[in-house]
Amino acid sequence: MKRRGFMKSLTMGAGILSFGLLPFLMGRLIHPDIKAHESNRIPLPGALKSADDFARACIGCGLCGEVCPPRCIQFHKHDGGFLADTPYIDPVQKSCILCGLCMEVCPTNALTVTPIREVSMGTAQIDRVACYPWVDAGICGACVSICPLGEKAIDFEFGNFYRPVVKEGCVGCGQCVEVCPEPSLPINIVPLARGRVAQHGIGVRKVERGQRGF
Amino acid sequence: MENVKLEPSSKLRHLNKLRWLTLTTVFFMLILLPFIYLYQTYEAAHAYDLLTPTEKTISDSMESLTSPFVKDPEELDAIKGTTWSGTLFGLKLSDPLAVVGQVFASLSLYWPFILTAFIPLFATLLLGRFYCGWICPATLIYELNDNLAVWLRKAGLPVSRRKLDRRIKYVVLAVGLILSIYLGAALFASIYPPAIIGREIYYAIALGGFGAGAVFFLLTLLFDLMVSRRGFCRYVCPGGALYSLLGRYRLFRIKRNVTKCNDCAKCNVACQFGLDPLQDDFGMECNNCTACIASCPTDALGFTINMRDSAYQGPGHLGHQYKKEQEGS
Repeated sequence: MKRRGFMKSLTMGAGILSFGLLPFLMGRLIHPDIKAHESNRIPLPGALKSADDFARACIGCGLCGEVCPPRCIQFHKHDGGFLADTPYIDPVQKSCILCGLCMEVCPTNALTVTPIREVSMGTAQIDRVACYPWVDAGICGACVSICPLGEKAIDFEFGNFYRPVVKEGCVGCGQCVEVCPEPSLPINIVPLARGRVAQHGIGVRKVERGQRGF
Repeated sequence: MENVKLEPSSKLRHLNKLRWLTLTTVFFMLILLPFIYLYQTYEAAHAYDLLTPTEKTISDSMESLTSPFVKDPEELDAIKGTTWSGTLFGLKLSDPLAVVGQVFASLSLYWPFILTAFIPLFATLLLGRFYCGWICPATLIYELNDNLAVWLRKAGLPVSRRKLDRRIKYVVLAVGLILSIYLGAALFASIYPPAIIGREIYYAIALGGFGAGAVFFLLTLLFDLMVSRRGFCRYVCPGGALYSLLGRYRLFRIKRNVTKCNDCAKCNVACQFGLDPLQDDFGMECNNCTACIASCPTDALGFTINMRDSAYQGPGHLGHQYKKEQEGS
């Protein structure tokens, strides 16, 4: 009889445990790990360095999006997986102006207050086979004139007017991406781990295409 | 009708109306804030002439609502966020469950965030699960859903009121914390109804389109209708589990005054959490919602300051059972 009682309590315990797991399983079913579509999804300014740490620290309250003046912050939805309800910026649609309000309002350590020149959201890469001035198809300079950080981040190449070159000071805010008039967007933001200023050149986009931005 | 004696009723019964006012205020603030967000966007863009007629309506109505209070739309940032985490005139407030979940997910203590939960924490230690009854935006919908269940039952549709084990929600809390450690994400945000509601309203109005949580919330409404009355709050909600634990030794409790009670059991029917005020059984689950006080015809229920519930005080002195016992002895 003792064994039967033990088995009974064991099944009861397993039943209660599975009932406790049930809401989380359902929450997980609603947030499947679909691969995000191939847009530039870059982290917020002042965000923790790795996406995993960011997912651990963010509670998904949405305050950063509510205070953002240019309204560039969007949230991972069904396609987020574990990143569901955490914020990202898509510079193709709307880019960050580095005002720092999201860093101030964030209640957790997911976003920490950082001076704007030390923000690391990524770095810009220019595809020199598509950019108008680089292929001598016209003069532009839109990315250089919009950059909030000036000549330390992006500048014209020495002696070559209107041919932009990304420098070490780029923090990846993405304003150059938003303003770029070329439809195929020869400039885009890549994560710092994969992008080096020295790597910029012909055909960099072929490597980057198809990989997840954030 | 001369023999009906009209007694001056207790003021405490109006607390339930005050509670409904608080619940609706919080809910409508959650709806208003995304519209204010949109209004701020339009103002920041200086593009009133380019707006569509709908957007112009939003902009105009928000301007007329807010202009008596603030001059610059930027100052509207003073009230932002949801009940999950928000700022109120510079004071940052967070849900204690958000803090607990985040500490377990990140396995580190970030004190500026933990401190934001201290005011709700102390209030919970004093008042118990008051958040569930007085503030939670999901409670408003769940209570309306419970009223719907009454109507459905009257219409002849089967509405189940099964009793489950109350300890399930503590298991949900523990499982959620362990899963948060292993999976590395604040998982409570996706299954905790007030967090879902605040976020979904914001997504729906400001960003367009619902997020993933809306489906889960609809499922909890079905759970309440088809399995148990207020079942999610009572048996599943991890926040409810946390507040029950914190409010176990709360100071403000509802107590039955046995000399006024007439054993009518209206309080037991009014209590949506299935507690038993008639037997002096409130326990950890009571959220001080005062629905039983409002339903009591003899004003036998009131507040007391005590660390524990009183033991069963026997049948009410105005009831039949007590009179029979007195005649018998």
